[in-house]
Amino acid sequence: MRQYELMVILDPELDDRTVQPSLEKFLNVVTTDGGTVDTIDVWGRRRLAYEIKKKAEGIYAVVNFTSEPATAKELDRQLGLNESIMRTKLMRPGA
Amino acid sequence: MAKPAIRKPKKKANPLKAAKVENIDYKDVALLRKFISDRGKIRARRVTGVSVQEQRLIANAVKNAREMALLPYSSSPR
Repeated sequence: MRQYELMVILDPELDDRTVQPSLEKFLNVVTTDGGTVDTIDVWGRRRLAYEIKKKAEGIYAVVNFTSEPATAKELDRQLGLNESIMRTKLMRPGA
Repeated sequence: MAKPAIRKPKKKANPLKAAKVENIDYKDVALLRKFISDRGKIRARRVTGVSVQEQRLIANAVKNAREMALLPYSSSPR
């Protein structure tokens, strides 16, 4: 098991209230594989330093979780497939 | 002709120690802004006055922040 930190940029056209539940749905893969989700921090709307997919804004969220490396990789893959997720960054804090 | 006087480089105060920063995080945009120029370029170590190890951490953090659109790659294109 390893600790991970995941940052995602979501489409700004999403409703603010749906952000948290949709993130939790993606994180189901972590809990079903025996990992734990430690914190979900939704930063909210933020101006991007440059345009991504012709959009000047994005909804930022940072998730800390613990899981097996394969699970983390699978989560990142599933996030990348979704249209409403503009960008992801999966990191190990302190590594 | 008089020899040009050898200039002693002035030692700069370490800005990380002044700000009491322990670990450099790519999410801390306010801190990283101090280490980039107004064009968005990473400032050299002789300008910032941090150690080699810290400069490397800063450079990596800036690059990660750029990937997540927290910092610009270049603010004013020519």
